[in-house]
Amino acid sequence: MNEGIAVLKVRDVLLVTMPADPDDATVSALQSRTLDAMEQHDVKALILDLSKVEILDSYFARTVAETARMVTLMGGETLIAGMRPSVAITATELNVTLGATRTVLTVDRALDLAGNLSRNKSVRKGRPWL
Amino acid sequence: MSKDSTAVAEAQTEKAGKLRAEADLDMLKILVDSVREYAIIMLDPKGQLVSWSPAAERLKGYTAEEIIGKHISVFCTAEDKASGKTERELETATREGRFEDEGWRVRKDGTKFWANVVVTALRDVNGTLRGFGNVTRDLSQRRESEERIKRQAKEILEMATVIVQVWDGIILVPLIGMLDSDRTQQLMERLLQRLTETNSPVALIDITGVPTIDTQTAQHLIETIKAVRYIGSEVVLTGVRPAIAQTLVHLGIDLSGATTRSSLTAGLRVAFEIINIHVARESAHGAAVGK
Repeated sequence: MNEGIAVLKVRDVLLVTMPADPDDATVSALQSRTLDAMEQHDVKALILDLSKVEILDSYFARTVAETARMVTLMGGETLIAGMRPSVAITATELNVTLGATRTVLTVDRALDLAGNLSRNKSVRKGRPWL
Repeated sequence: MSKDSTAVAEAQTEKAGKLRAEADLDMLKILVDSVREYAIIMLDPKGQLVSWSPAAERLKGYTAEEIIGKHISVFCTAEDKASGKTERELETATREGRFEDEGWRVRKDGTKFWANVVVTALRDVNGTLRGFGNVTRDLSQRRESEERIKRQAKEILEMATVIVQVWDGIILVPLIGMLDSDRTQQLMERLLQRLTETNSPVALIDITGVPTIDTQTAQHLIETIKAVRYIGSEVVLTGVRPAIAQTLVHLGIDLSGATTRSSLTAGLRVAFEIINIHVARESAHGAAVGK
């Protein structure tokens, strides 16, 4: 059921990929699995890859927006990557508010941006590998 | 005057009246037969054809011999027959005296034409239903020209909305004319498509050519700005003239989702900043630098 979601930790970024047409159970799994992973790994950013997603419903949209806020509370920044035009139009119709969540065209760009983020954070000073 | 002569006179009057009535009927028949644009036919109370006219023959392809006695539903499409639309038409005409419809009808050869149909209930002085009058007009040509106008309007719309890539990562949309819902919807779809295809982080929307902005237009712009943001790009709105700026503030419209600039030049500078491009004038002799 939840196999569709891929949660990957890449360096100090968490990459979560959503399947094309997630059902409600998959959507709720997105939130719990993302937050658990945030707790487990010390990451600076969450990249939510929506490039495969073809259908957006209000529940999914709300969960994405909520998860982003929760991730912010846990000290990470959420980058939504690769939303398709058709999905973006649906999101406008559903009046989804993203607040401070950033959006990027592709995962590639998200990784670039996340790289800059962590470098700018003074918290990372103490880490020898940065 | 004798009784007989009165009777004769009455008979003569009656005869004259009948003749006149017959002459009137003839005239009416000539009228019905000579009208070319309208197929005027009569139905009995059950909806079976009792008269036919040359115009009806020309329009529907049946001869009088073939068609008289058939039910009016022979002209309907298979779907209308299945849904019982014809029966409803006659019911409505019986109940309300009149029924008007615009829709597809079928000719003898099976081809369809777009028709305007008026069914009128015919009642005698006692109010008994004697049948129906059916006037059918072929609107195919009008419909065709309407469709052509719609198609052309769409083409003009497409022409009026040009989407150009001005730099690697910058898409420019110079908007000209009024923005209505259809146009914005189409613009939004094409712009998003283009932004994702070219992987462009900036959409420069220039509204210099938009005469005025009302609440609805602004709403459409806001939607476009939002949608562009969802896919991961951002809108730089340029051509915000003083009058437009005033209108936006007076209408209480919040365009904070986009960076706005008055000129396209200023907007382009913002776009360059976003994609991290630094533009500097090259000094030929080095003398201009620092001055």
